Amino acid sequence: MADLGQFSLILALFLSSYAILADIAGAWCLDSGLLRSGRNAMVCCLLCLSVAMTILWIQLIRCDFSVRYVAEHTSLDLLLSYRISALWAGAAGSLLLWLWLQTGMLITVFFSTQSAKRSFCAHARVIANLVAVFFLLVLVLDKDPFTLSEVIPRDGAGLNPLLQHPAMVLHPPLLLVGYAAFAVPFAWAFACFKSNTEVREPPFVRAARNWALTAWIFLTVGIVLGAWWAYEELGWGGYWAWDPVENSSLMPWLVATAMLHSFRIFTPKTRIVIWTEILCLLTFSLCIFGTFLTRYGLVSSVHAFPDPGKGILFVILLIHIWVLSGFLIVKRFWRRKDQPSFSHPRAQEIFVWNNWLFLLLTFVIFVGTLFPFLSGLVSKRQITLKPEYFTKITSPGGLVLVLFIGLCPYLWQHGFKKSVRFILAGLVIVICAILWFMFKQLAPLFFVVSGLLLLNLVMDIIILARTGKINWRAYGARIVHLGVALIFIGIAGSGGYDVERQISMMPGQQEQLGGYNLVYESLGADHGPNFTAMWAAVSVYDQSDKLVAQLKPAKAVYSAGGKAVSEVDIRRTLGSDVYLALMDVDIASKMINLRAMVKPLINWIWIGSTLMVMGAGIVILNLVVSRK
Amino acid sequence: MKAKTVIKLVIGIVVIGGGIGYFMYQAMQSSWSYYYSVDEFATGSESVKNSSLRLAGKVKAGTVSRDMSKMELVFVLEGINNELPVKYTGVVPDNFAERIEVVVEGRLETSGTFNAEMLMTRCESKYKAKVN
Repeated sequence: MADLGQFSLILALFLSSYAILADIAGAWCLDSGLLRSGRNAMVCCLLCLSVAMTILWIQLIRCDFSVRYVAEHTSLDLLLSYRISALWAGAAGSLLLWLWLQTGMLITVFFSTQSAKRSFCAHARVIANLVAVFFLLVLVLDKDPFTLSEVIPRDGAGLNPLLQHPAMVLHPPLLLVGYAAFAVPFAWAFACFKSNTEVREPPFVRAARNWALTAWIFLTVGIVLGAWWAYEELGWGGYWAWDPVENSSLMPWLVATAMLHSFRIFTPKTRIVIWTEILCLLTFSLCIFGTFLTRYGLVSSVHAFPDPGKGILFVILLIHIWVLSGFLIVKRFWRRKDQPSFSHPRAQEIFVWNNWLFLLLTFVIFVGTLFPFLSGLVSKRQITLKPEYFTKITSPGGLVLVLFIGLCPYLWQHGFKKSVRFILAGLVIVICAILWFMFKQLAPLFFVVSGLLLLNLVMDIIILARTGKINWRAYGARIVHLGVALIFIGIAGSGGYDVERQISMMPGQQEQLGGYNLVYESLGADHGPNFTAMWAAVSVYDQSDKLVAQLKPAKAVYSAGGKAVSEVDIRRTLGSDVYLALMDVDIASKMINLRAMVKPLINWIWIGSTLMVMGAGIVILNLVVSRK
Repeated sequence: MKAKTVIKLVIGIVVIGGGIGYFMYQAMQSSWSYYYSVDEFATGSESVKNSSLRLAGKVKAGTVSRDMSKMELVFVLEGINNELPVKYTGVVPDNFAERIEVVVEGRLETSGTFNAEMLMTRCESKYKAKVN
């Protein structure tokens, strides 16, 4: 069966190579027969990929350890749901799933061979198939999911117990759906470069924008789930560590956010057009680059080990994409040099500034992430940057961003004129400066600026409500920005005012933590089917000596491999979390080592993220339903 | 483009680029640390030994000891030819064990012990369960 899987991958490779040639030739001499053939080849390629994926899935579910991928990612005692999710547990399976999703989405959008749209669709398919060819080359030559095991093991390696968590099951495929869906605006942008602007199809602009927004929603959910899982499971108390793997999903997200904003003001025959197209290209390139970065360990991360191989194919693909589109962009500029209609309305300038801010943030993160590699090029020593580098730059950047978000929607619609909003904004800037000199800390500034944003949003919503009509898009956008304000409040609160202690305690002992009193009551143990969990009962008292919570942080030792996993226990309120992780237990003396933290306002991050996704969901539903 | 626009553009780029560059330089200066393997470090020059370092190596079997009352973890970090005693205070990652690859960050004390402020374990591969 593995042979059939491998065969279908190779067949898919040939089909997509053929599709490129057929589509190029077809678009060149406007031959509908060739174009149809190219498109059908892509459909067949999708079928082949479906076959390969189904086979891999069947093997994973049946625990067929003769295939190495199955032996490495499942085991006999693994739950069925984790066996199903093992498809995206490794590099090979993730790539296959990504390519399958991407090919499917692109076919639904660029299927047409009608004479008006056919060459546009053909060009979009060409670049899509080029990406597919490279992905398939990686799959066939390097990360073949159907490689047979040298020795068939009795049991597979199974899944890391840390990752046996619903959030971790959903996190990778959500990111992959996001990455795959960004291929639609990417292919659209490329086709736009190739075609003349005059024949740029409005329905395709709509499709590109809608897919971009959908992709953004999936990516957001994926990133937030990853952060939430890190907070809930890893016991280190944070949610974001600026690790290369995390950064590689944040960078496309930032550029995609910029891209969505420029789609908002997309008007044909203005500078915004080319700007949007370049952002589409950049977003998808960063998705590919992130995969290369993390799966091939250009920069060693905590997550995975460097495994240099055929990963260079991804770099070659990126070079192809940028050389091709660079050539087309220059060519188009050359041709349209004499056309004067290249300015855009003054108000849209604001959106461009916002985009630049996103790009700058991305650039800073990009440099920081690649720094070990870049420094290795210059000197013999690799230099890594601590997470402080990122927080030091992104915090002032974030502050400016929040200020922008507060003012821009109004500026865009009404321009600069005397308004209470600008007086407020000026006041806020003065207050920020004073606070900075008082505290030398950015967190209080974030509260003030986020407050301004909230106030502006409330005023916006009142204005919207007064018009009497329900403008779903405007409401949705405000809800997204409301979410952003809450997220920043959460980040500032939990980052700026957190209290952390590492305490060693004996039963009955009391310790102070922030405004709380911790009392270590007793030690106990639970026995599960494949694990033993030691737990410590800790009572949490507030300042008036009232018992507010009884927490039971635990440490579970799994029988398979003797792995220990800390199970944190958290007392959650909207004001702050009390977070306890049991780090170590001495059974004889009952001494425990606790990592205890108070994280103010952290839950607003999750609430804000939910609002962000909900708001974007309202917008996309409205866009799809109203066919705007 | 008019000359005026060009001047505006240049000034804008210089101001913004300079600002960002300065910010990045400031942030980098306070947060960079050199990355070595244990072997590279042992044979390296004295001057780098005073700065903040990141060392990669393996936890030598049979050398791990914990003092729970002081929350201290002591072990020997081994490379191919060299070893280095490491003292670490703080949270020990769940997957810390003998013979696994770890990265420590901190400074070398005069006693010759490496005082680690941070201890990271690298998952052999993100999704594999057993290390051996």
